[in-house]
Amino acid sequence: MGKGFSVLRADQERIVLIIAAVLFLAAAIFLPGFLEPSNLIAIIRSISVLGILAAGMAIVIIGRGIDLSAVAVMAMSVAWYLQMLGTRSPDWMALLYAVAAVLAIGLINGFLVAYADVPAIFVTLASGSFVFGFVRSQLINQDAIAVPPEHWIERLGRLRIEGIPSEVFIFFGITCIAFIFLRYTKWGRYVYYAGDNPVTARNSGIPVRPMLVLRYIISALTAFIAGLLTASSLLSINTRVVNSTLLYDIILVVVIGGIGLSGGKGSMRNVIVGALLIGIMLNVMTILDIPNIYQNLIKSTILLIAIIIDGLMNPRDEQTAQQGDI
Amino acid sequence: MEPIIRMQKVTKTYRGVAAIRDIDFDLQPGEIHALLGENGAGKSTLTKIMAGAVEATSGAMTYLGRKVSFTSPNEALLAGIAMVFQETSLIPSMTVAQNIYLGEEKFLNRLRGIYISAQQFLQSLNFSVEPTALVETLGAAKRQMVEIARAVHHDAKVIIFDEPTATLTPEEKRHFFALLARLKKRGVSIVFISHALEEALTHADRITIMRDGAHVLTAPAGELNRDLVIRSMVGRTLSDTIYNRNRVAADLRKPGEKILSVEDISMGSMVRNNSFSIFTGQITGVFGLIGSGRTETFKIVSGIYKRNFLRGGEIRLGERQIRYYVPREAVQDGIVYVTEDRKSEGFFETMSIAENLMSGLLAADRSGKIGINMRDMRKLAAGWTSRLNIRAINENARVVELSGGNQQKVVIGKGLIQQPRIVIFDEPTRGVDVGAIAEIHQLMTELADQGLAVVMISSYLPEIMSLSDRILVCRQGRIVEEFSPVDATEEKIMYAAVH
Repeated sequence: MGKGFSVLRADQERIVLIIAAVLFLAAAIFLPGFLEPSNLIAIIRSISVLGILAAGMAIVIIGRGIDLSAVAVMAMSVAWYLQMLGTRSPDWMALLYAVAAVLAIGLINGFLVAYADVPAIFVTLASGSFVFGFVRSQLINQDAIAVPPEHWIERLGRLRIEGIPSEVFIFFGITCIAFIFLRYTKWGRYVYYAGDNPVTARNSGIPVRPMLVLRYIISALTAFIAGLLTASSLLSINTRVVNSTLLYDIILVVVIGGIGLSGGKGSMRNVIVGALLIGIMLNVMTILDIPNIYQNLIKSTILLIAIIIDGLMNPRDEQTAQQGDI
Repeated sequence: MEPIIRMQKVTKTYRGVAAIRDIDFDLQPGEIHALLGENGAGKSTLTKIMAGAVEATSGAMTYLGRKVSFTSPNEALLAGIAMVFQETSLIPSMTVAQNIYLGEEKFLNRLRGIYISAQQFLQSLNFSVEPTALVETLGAAKRQMVEIARAVHHDAKVIIFDEPTATLTPEEKRHFFALLARLKKRGVSIVFISHALEEALTHADRITIMRDGAHVLTAPAGELNRDLVIRSMVGRTLSDTIYNRNRVAADLRKPGEKILSVEDISMGSMVRNNSFSIFTGQITGVFGLIGSGRTETFKIVSGIYKRNFLRGGEIRLGERQIRYYVPREAVQDGIVYVTEDRKSEGFFETMSIAENLMSGLLAADRSGKIGINMRDMRKLAAGWTSRLNIRAINENARVVELSGGNQQKVVIGKGLIQQPRIVIFDEPTRGVDVGAIAEIHQLMTELADQGLAVVMISSYLPEIMSLSDRILVCRQGRIVEEFSPVDATEEKIMYAAVH
C-alpha cells in the first residue's frame, strides 16, 4: 500500500512542475502584460524571496517542526536594522546588532522547543508576535522604514547580472547550500532521522536537541536574508507584512512542493518547484486584479487541499504501522 | 458439523507479491484453533481477512453458511467476528467500563449506570477487573481481559487473537488459557496466532500451520508433536531444536574483564538499589517478569533514562564513573541498547535498510568532520545487510514493510555498526520468526566469542538457559539472584523471579 503512494510522491514534483509550466504558458498566451520584462522580473523576484523563506521553513519541517515566526523575524529584523541606520551607529554595527538579534530569536525558539518541550507551533506563534510587538512598539516609530539612498541594500536591488536580478542568484546559492547541507553533511542527515522518529534518533546517539536549536537558527537567518532582499526590491520594509498571508504562502510552497508535514522526507527540489508554482500563481492573480479577499480564499483553499492530500499520503505512525504489516 | 467460518482459495496480493495464496481454512463452532508459522508466513493476513481489516484479492469466505466479504473491521464485528490485536486498541485514559461500552454510549451518558452493568457483565465472565479502573493503570493481562470482554459484549461468535501471550507472564498465560476454555464453553470459536509451540500443542483443539503464504497442514493438536510442527513450519529438519538445555561447565565462557559495575542504582519506584556487574567475552542473561525493572535498569546504563540524582547509586565503566544525560554519551563510550520495542524506538520506519544502518554510523561518528562520504557508508551498510542476512523485496523497501525478523536485524545492525563494547539486547527474539531466531542467537554467540560484553534480557526461559554464561534474575527493581546455567533449572529461576 505505502509503496503505491511513494511512487506517487516521487511524481508529485513532476506534477507540480507540469502544472507550473501549464500555468505559465496559459498566462503568457491569455494575459496581456504577463510576458513584459518588468513583470517577469517581478515574478522571479517574488519566487526568490518566497523560495528563500520556504527553504528555511523546509529544513524545520523536515525535522518535524514548524516555524511560524519566520515572517515576523524577516520584517522586524530588517526594519530595526534600517531604523538603526537612520539614528546612530555605523552600518556594520547596526548589521551586527540585527544579526545578533536574529540569532537570539532562533536560539530561543529552538531552546524552548528542544529543551523545554513546548510544541513548536505554540513557541513560534508566540515568539513571532512578541518580536512584532516589541520591535514595533520599542524600536521603530513607523510601519514602513525606507532604505536610505545609495545604501548597499539599494545597490543590491539594482544589481543585474546579464540582466537577471541578483535575488535569483542569492536564491540559487541558498538552495544549493541547503541542498548540500541536507544531503552531504552529517548534521543534514540528522534532520531526516529526527524527523522520521525522534525517539529512535535519540536512542541511536544522534544529538537531537542541539540539532533542533540549529534548525530554528537557520530558519531565522534565512528569514533575515529574505527580509533584506524584500527591502532591496521595494526600497523599504513594511512591517504590516507580518499580518498578511505571507506565512501561509510559505507553508503552501513547502507542502505543495511535496514535503510532508509529518517530517522525515523532502528536499530542496521540492522547495524550488513549490516556489515556482506559487510564485507564478500569485503573479497571475495580481495581474487578473483579483481582489485580495478572493486571493486569500483561493490560496487558503489550495493550502487546505494540499494539507489533506499530504495527510493521506504521509499518514502518522499508527496507520503506517497497520499498512506495513503484511 | 458445519463450520462457522470456511475460507476457500483465499489469495491476497500486495503489489503483485502474494502474502497468502489459495488458502483453505475452516473453523468449527466452539473450537480453539491455533495458527502457527514463521513471521511472514501469512497468518496475520489470513486472520485480518476474516476480521475485515484486509480485503482478499480473490477467494471466498463463508460465515454461518452465508457468503460474506467484509469491507471493514466494524462490519465483521457487527456480524460477530472480533479481533484482538497484539497492541491493544483500548483507550488508555478511559475506564474499563467506558472501553467496554465504547461506541454505544447514549447521548446522555451516566457513568454510574455503565459501571454497574459493566460490573455485572465482568462478573458473569468471571473476570477480576475493576470497571472503574483506568486502562492505563492495568497490566497487559488485564487489558487483554478488557478486550475480550468487549468482544464478548458485542456477542462475538468468533474471537481472533494475534499473539495473545507475547506480553504475558507465565501466571497470566495460565489465566488466559483458562479463560479461553470458558469462552469455548459459551460456544465461542477461537483462533489464535502464536509463536510458542507448546501453548498451541497443549491448549488448541486443532492446529493449522502456514509457510510462505501457503497452507501446510491442519490437524488435531493430539496428532502433532513439537518436532513435526517445527519441521512443517520451517520446511527443514532441525536436527536439534534451537534450545539446547543441557549445559556443561566446560562450554561456558570465562568472564573477561569487569567492564561495567553497577552499585546501588535507583530510579523512582522502578529500579531500587540495584547492583550487579557485567564482564566482557560472555553473554549475561537477565531474566525477570514484566515490570521487574530489568528494561529500566539497562536503559539507565545506556543513557536513555536518568537515575535518581540524589542517592541514585553509581555506575562505573571500567574504572571510570559515569552518569549519562543522553544516549549519545553511552554510544560514544561503546554501550549500545537494542530495544524491545522496535517500532516506536528501534528503527526509522519510512526509511530503507541502508538509511537505517547509516543512522548508526552517523550517530557514532566522532571524527568531527561535517561532510560525509556516501559511497563508503553505503558500502558499509551493504556489508552489514549481507552479514546479518537481512532480506527485503528490494533494496528501497521501507523497514516497516519487512518481516519482524528482518526488522529486528536492522535494529541490531544499526547498533553493531557503531562498534560497541557492550551490547544490550532487550527481548531480541520477540515477534521474530523461527529462522531468524537461530540467526540472532548465533550472532550473539559470535559477539561474545569476539570479546564483547553481551547482555540479553529475555522473558523466555529456554532462551536464557541455552545461551547465557551467567544468569541474573531481576525482581521488583533489582537483581536478586545469580545462577550458573549449569545448575540452574527453569523452576529455580522462576522461583527467584516471583518470590
